[in-house]
Amino acid sequence: MIVTKHWLNEWINLDGITIETLLQTLNSIGLEVERHEHFCVPEKIVIGKVVACEKHPDADKLSVCEVDIGTAVRQIVCGASNVREGLYVAVATAGAQMPSGLTIKPVKLRGVESDGMLCSAAEIGLTELYEGIIELDSSIGTLTLGTPLCEIACFNDDLIEIELTANRGDCLSINGICRDLCAAFNVDFRERRQQKIEDNGKGIGRFMHVDHDGIADVELRYCALELSSVRLPLLIELRLALIEAPQKNTLERLLCYATYCSGVILRAYCKAFFSKDQSSAQLRLAHNEAGFATLYGSQEWASIVGVNQNDASRCSAEEGSVVLEASYVAPEHISKLMYQNKVPADLLYYRTSRGSDSDLEFGMNIALEMLFLCSDISLYRGVLDVTLNRKKRLIVVSVDEINAFIGDTIKKSLIVQILQSLGFNMAKSSGKDFVIEVPHYRHDIVNKQDVAEEIVRLVGIDNIASKPFVFSEKNRFNSDYERYKKRQHYRHKAAYSGFFESVHFIFNARSTLERLGFTCILEAYDLLNPITATMDTLRPTLMLNLLESASLNAKSGKKSVALFEVGSVFNAQREEVLKMGFVLSGFVERDTLRNAGKPSPVDFAYVADRIASVVGAIELRPLRTAHALAHAYQGADILQNGRVIGELFKLHPTLQQEYDLLDTFMCEVDFEVLPYRLKQAVPYSKFQASYRDLSLLIPQDMAYNDVKEVIEEHAGREIVRFYPIDRYEDVSLGSDVSMTLRFVLQSDEKTLEDDDISASMHDILEALERTLGLTLR
Amino acid sequence: MKAWYDKIDAVERVSDLEAIRIAVFGKKGVLAAEFAKMKDAPNEDKAAIAKELNIHKGRLTALLTQKKEMLQLHELEAAMKAEAIDVTLYSAPSQSGSLHPVMETMDRIVEYFSSMNFAVYTGPMIEDDFHNFEALNLPKYHPARDMQDTFYFKDEMLLRTHTSPVQIRTMLQSQPPIRMIAPGAVFRRDYDLTHTPMFHQVEGLLVDEAGSVSFANLKFILEDFLHYMFGDVAVRFRPSFFPFTEPSAEVDISCIFCEGEGCRVCSKTGWLEVLGCGIVDSNVFQAVNYNNVSGYAFGLGVERFAMLIHRIGDLRSLFEGDVRLLEQFR
Repeated sequence: MIVTKHWLNEWINLDGITIETLLQTLNSIGLEVERHEHFCVPEKIVIGKVVACEKHPDADKLSVCEVDIGTAVRQIVCGASNVREGLYVAVATAGAQMPSGLTIKPVKLRGVESDGMLCSAAEIGLTELYEGIIELDSSIGTLTLGTPLCEIACFNDDLIEIELTANRGDCLSINGICRDLCAAFNVDFRERRQQKIEDNGKGIGRFMHVDHDGIADVELRYCALELSSVRLPLLIELRLALIEAPQKNTLERLLCYATYCSGVILRAYCKAFFSKDQSSAQLRLAHNEAGFATLYGSQEWASIVGVNQNDASRCSAEEGSVVLEASYVAPEHISKLMYQNKVPADLLYYRTSRGSDSDLEFGMNIALEMLFLCSDISLYRGVLDVTLNRKKRLIVVSVDEINAFIGDTIKKSLIVQILQSLGFNMAKSSGKDFVIEVPHYRHDIVNKQDVAEEIVRLVGIDNIASKPFVFSEKNRFNSDYERYKKRQHYRHKAAYSGFFESVHFIFNARSTLERLGFTCILEAYDLLNPITATMDTLRPTLMLNLLESASLNAKSGKKSVALFEVGSVFNAQREEVLKMGFVLSGFVERDTLRNAGKPSPVDFAYVADRIASVVGAIELRPLRTAHALAHAYQGADILQNGRVIGELFKLHPTLQQEYDLLDTFMCEVDFEVLPYRLKQAVPYSKFQASYRDLSLLIPQDMAYNDVKEVIEEHAGREIVRFYPIDRYEDVSLGSDVSMTLRFVLQSDEKTLEDDDISASMHDILEALERTLGLTLR
Repeated sequence: MKAWYDKIDAVERVSDLEAIRIAVFGKKGVLAAEFAKMKDAPNEDKAAIAKELNIHKGRLTALLTQKKEMLQLHELEAAMKAEAIDVTLYSAPSQSGSLHPVMETMDRIVEYFSSMNFAVYTGPMIEDDFHNFEALNLPKYHPARDMQDTFYFKDEMLLRTHTSPVQIRTMLQSQPPIRMIAPGAVFRRDYDLTHTPMFHQVEGLLVDEAGSVSFANLKFILEDFLHYMFGDVAVRFRPSFFPFTEPSAEVDISCIFCEGEGCRVCSKTGWLEVLGCGIVDSNVFQAVNYNNVSGYAFGLGVERFAMLIHRIGDLRSLFEGDVRLLEQFR
């Protein structure tokens, strides 16, 4: 909603109120100022009058004008097609600094002296109104020759754009905003300078008839008139340009202005649309098949009340026989209808749905006054009304109730003053109770809390003292918070382990997912209105997002990257599952002195270590993969406590190339099964540990896990742990490889002797030979 | 004997000292030879010679020990010197990862409210119309639904447009008093410079006896919270409108970039909008069948907080996993 200070000042007296106070007040009463701009026509641009105008001797399109600027008459050459004798114009005199940067000085144009410039609206910094120079008229004030335009209010004004909240349809007009400002500043509306409306003595009944049987959900008022030579005064043109009114038709522009001022929905129809010949117009109101109150002409519909108008019913010219309509329909009623049956709507529907003003007499009078001012009009006597029996809403509330919502002590007298200034009638007031009658335009006020809000708004929230809430303490720890803490715990571990946390949209491209072999949400459960094709389904994995981010980093020069995300993914049944995902790409460390600038590429062993440092000890088994991201021979299921919790793999070489990456590994684990519990300490041996290495010959195709299982089964209690430390292939070993295992031995009772150690190792060797046929190298 | 003092003095290596020690103190050493000569000396001189020799023995021993210690120190020093490095070569950037600024900001917000005894609740991202809209006083035809462009599924479920449905769920499954926050991701069908289809919110709800919870209480906690998050800023409440609260307000802080002077970030207003809040609308309590209660609610966008606190200019950069941004938060 765009207004200017001058425009508001026309309705209420804002003299003595600074723009800062006005903006602050609008904000504090809940009319948020979205934008404020002061605009002013530059100095030395004055009112002039063209006293003579002749063709330029050497240029067809130029005119040579004598322009009276009060103190002198200047010869000015002008190229505008609308320049003519008698016209009041904006004259930029010598020295004027134009918004374009041009400085006006006397020049010769095609040999003719020109001392100044006649300006268009755009040339003096306003929105362009029409082709040619701006034509001044008395709507902007008294036209005193020589007066600088910057001394005229509408050329030196403050534009204020208000972001209205959805409930304040009543403020979609100058009248509505002024109503709120009256209450805020405790002032009254200015006495309106009423234009005299005279009818032509002929009754409206001779012109038109309205049939509205069975219509009880709209209010309408009709007037009839004969119209000719409608023209818009400059002030209205300037304001319509500010609010960017799209209408082309002069009459409709004028009604648009009247609606903008009054808040009442106004439409004009061509009389002929309702009459077959010269007879009187027959207007018929009925509900259409969708349930909307609709106005019908002799052939077809003319308008859906408050929603839309048939172009065929519009007044095409700026003259002729016109039916003028003011209408109201309750916003909640029309919104429900619209929800049930969406029909095309025009710009006025926005007002209808937010709550237009139902004071049809006021709106119609504003429109008629303007028509009397701006056209030759012959108005038929009387009006035709379709009325509703609407009762004003009553709300009973007490001072204490209002103060309980606010948390402060607002006096009854102040409450009464605020409500009355907002147009609420205090129907009854006994003791601390009020019965409040809500004005018809405040459809948003339905209960006590709404009334409290009006008080809060006008008192100013900043004037309410803050108070701590007193409550009973309570243990509010719960399982959701525990999950949050667990998530925090693992996020911190990952960050300390060198991974960067990333956050991605939960959307993926279904086609990409399917190409990569992921199971997507069942079609029947998928998104109805995705925002783009690349985000047309919910992700079943974190890995695609992580891969894309790694690729983006690589393309921006970060070839080495370690990212993680803890986030939701969705299975085929669209159940939300929390996962933790990782991507590691490039090198194991930065290029540095230590590696002479040649760090090693990430490899499986390195990545497994990094993942374990975040999620805890992991066991790896060959991957039973179902998607195409994984390298066929470097992929693993991740196990914890014997249960598969996720996967770890090298990115498939084809995809590595496709995503423009160096060697890349990815991992995803099920977050819910990661451990998060208090640790229990166990007793540990106080005696020294011993180490023994065994080098075994094992067949190339034997998995280490097979060896491991046999050792675990046969190892004595003194074997604390064992792990592979070397794997060596050589032609001399044939189809075998040499694998060195390191054993850590320790007893709870004593420091182990060589004999004890040898016996332990012997048992293991014997078991390996017996079950797997393995021998020492 | 005198010559040996000079010899010891002249030694440069610990290993050379041993040869001298043997030459002086060994069985065939100088001292042994001198003592041996004593038997040929006249008896009356023996005592004096022995005394003199013992003095030499003592002095030489001390000198040798002293020399050895000194040489050892020198050699250690030389060994260390040989290991000298140019430490300036090793100035090192941090190799740790980092938490995402949005998540870290969310953690800080959650930390504040849990220290104020608010419970933390989370809920599903996929919601139904009742929890996301209806119960929050947003019937299907409500004009405020225009404010939120919603992602729908083919079976009429939707992606939650705010974390408020978590409040509805909490109210339905427990009884007042309630003092909770709901942090989480939310979704709106909007994607441009200042909007992303997913972002994060933290919403808060307090429900207690009728007439006990007031706007003044809401002001208190939010002012305190904003001072905790942004430091010494001015806080301003502007009346506003939300379907689920009445009275409602938007909360601004004085611009942290220009300190209220007016700049590009605050659109020259000197204020930054950071929160929405209000007294819970009675229709919301009706929807969950709560009687004789009152309450307040508030909600904020975590991305906005993170961007203001960390001076991040581009909203979309938060979702790109770009290390150039993330590594700044190590």
